[in-house]
Amino acid sequence: MQRRAFLRCLGCGAAAVAASQTELLPEFLGGVQNAFAFDLTKELSSVEARYYKKLSGGGVECELCPRHCRVTDLERGYCGVRENRSDKYCTLVYGLPCALNIDPIEKKPFFHFYPGTTALSLATAGCNVNCKFCQNWEISQSRPEQTDNFDLSPGAIVEICRDKRLPTIAYTYSEPVTFYEYMYDTSELGHKNGIKSVMITGGYIEQQPLTDLIPHLDAIKVDLKAIRPEYYKSVVGGELKPVLDRLIQIKNAGIWLEIVYLVVPTLNDSEAEFRELAQWIRTYVGPDTPVHFSRFHPQYLLNNLPATPTKTLETACAISRAEGLQFVYLGNVPGHQAESTYCPACGQMVIERHGYRIQQLNLKGNHCSKCDREIPGLF
Amino acid sequence: MGPPAGQGPLDFHWQFRRKPVSYTGMSKVVVVRHAGHAGQKSLSQQQYSILLTVGLRALSGSLDIKAAFRQYFPFRHGGQAGVIGVKANCLARALNSTPVALADAFAELCVRAGLAENNLVIWDRTSHELQKAGFTLNASSFGRRCMGTDANGIGYSGDFHSFGEVDSLVSRILTDMVDFNLNLPVLKDHSIAGLSAGLKNMYGAIHNPNKYHGDNCSPFCAQVSNLEPIRLKNRLTIIDAIRVQYEGGPGFMEKYLAYYNGLIMSADPVAADAIGLEILERLRKVHGQPTLEQSGRPVRYLAQAQAIGLGVADRQRIDLQVIGVDDTGQQVPAELW
Repeated sequence: MQRRAFLRCLGCGAAAVAASQTELLPEFLGGVQNAFAFDLTKELSSVEARYYKKLSGGGVECELCPRHCRVTDLERGYCGVRENRSDKYCTLVYGLPCALNIDPIEKKPFFHFYPGTTALSLATAGCNVNCKFCQNWEISQSRPEQTDNFDLSPGAIVEICRDKRLPTIAYTYSEPVTFYEYMYDTSELGHKNGIKSVMITGGYIEQQPLTDLIPHLDAIKVDLKAIRPEYYKSVVGGELKPVLDRLIQIKNAGIWLEIVYLVVPTLNDSEAEFRELAQWIRTYVGPDTPVHFSRFHPQYLLNNLPATPTKTLETACAISRAEGLQFVYLGNVPGHQAESTYCPACGQMVIERHGYRIQQLNLKGNHCSKCDREIPGLF
Repeated sequence: MGPPAGQGPLDFHWQFRRKPVSYTGMSKVVVVRHAGHAGQKSLSQQQYSILLTVGLRALSGSLDIKAAFRQYFPFRHGGQAGVIGVKANCLARALNSTPVALADAFAELCVRAGLAENNLVIWDRTSHELQKAGFTLNASSFGRRCMGTDANGIGYSGDFHSFGEVDSLVSRILTDMVDFNLNLPVLKDHSIAGLSAGLKNMYGAIHNPNKYHGDNCSPFCAQVSNLEPIRLKNRLTIIDAIRVQYEGGPGFMEKYLAYYNGLIMSADPVAADAIGLEILERLRKVHGQPTLEQSGRPVRYLAQAQAIGLGVADRQRIDLQVIGVDDTGQQVPAELW
């Protein structure tokens, strides 16, 4: 299965990513395969990266993410997509997405951000962590020369959105932080053309790059992979604290935020962790921040574990609600009632979902149609 | 030991029963130094050929070059079966990569030993890097082959190979195309790992080397080389130490070049690197550089490689033979220093 998945990725690029997603709706898969048959390119970009400094003894230090990779001539950072070329640090993936898709916004998942709309979703190769459960490892853990890449400038991306009347661009699938410059320029250009941008990220980024990027984005979804540092060290290959700091920064910046927590059996699924997580979210980013508990499926380097039992997810959901979180969802469990949005005041189902499909909207603007309580988000 | 009767010429199972080297005792390393080479230039194919022939004879203990060669690359008679890979290191382009003349000399040796020329594959991470280092690409059925893992139809293994903290896909050139591999790196300083030689060269065989540069590449260098296909197929390491960049690597910095004029040869990849490290440290000292440890780049991965049974790093357990050779092939007295 892994072999097939990888070869499919090399051969089909975007289609492979689409196929690897859980619960992809057939009409979207079919549409993507036919919609984007752009020419591929073997060339890598050599656009100068932002946020690095030259070191006195030679080499550069990347200041984009908390890793602060020190990179000498001809070497690359941990992400595999930024290279030192004679002490000029370059991004190799500017304008070179290897995955391009039209997805429902619910797939990101954003449940409080223009529900029922679609987003042009793109990714390049590369990631600054190495989660053992990654569902898109074929691209996130590859170097750009190992993926099939389209040659699409920010202008070309915006043109596709205009042509297909897509309201939003989503930087997703791999880790957008690693293609920061491309994302920044595309979202800036998108805004000038009335197109929104959302980032789906692990939140492993330094403060300043995020501060500079936020004005060009409309929403951010952060994968908070655990609430305990040891999990970040052993399963993710990163650190927890910078992610928590960025979550607070995002909330304080006033941009729309949703959080996903992938529940991995035996690794981050204890009731104590769910409680700790809910308390942290309530305290630092607010009880009205939507939280999605997603079901894990065995893949990449965690094939030995079973899929998350629905009961565990329901436990996480119940604990979080008991701790005061108002919008708690279950992910990758299509048809579950916890996919829908309920008014915290009267309990009315304000958005009914099945998978990525919106079945019913009981909203007046951004208010509950029954009790008129405001539902946070962008509707 | 040949393949069981009835199996096809490119069957890959029989070779895995072989244990490349026994690490229970001493590991032998041969350093062949070119006498009279004044530096400031590269060696010719002919000069490399002399060094390889003398070195291989000394390492194997056999004067018959065919027999010596087949100790490490036991392909069947007539070259009907058995494909030998040559993993070059082409990161620094033609400036400080595996010399084409050395690869040519080894290819010539293969043919002399009876290998069909097309059964030799010189390879690295990308075709582009091979070309930049001066190699001529050839994926045809004629002549010696030369290609990168990114060549059409190659790519990486479908399944992950794992050891310790390393989980990687391995080049299909190594897993599927070749039966044996010669590790043919250059000796140089590395800004993170400290030492770049045989073990570090195998980073070019995996799809995600960027993930394994933390902590001075320790223990990753050891663990990458202990991935099953790499460990089983690497039969011989020949480190080019004719000219050695003792500081500022892995990119090329001419001001740090020194001429050692030697090849380091061993069937034990760890022992070869251990001698390479000794040479590198000595050159650093001669040129007024601090030790790698003092520079914040301690080479811990050799001891770690020994601990996992990949080879011998302990100098007391390395049987080192240093041979000097002049341009006529005449042996002359030589020391490591």
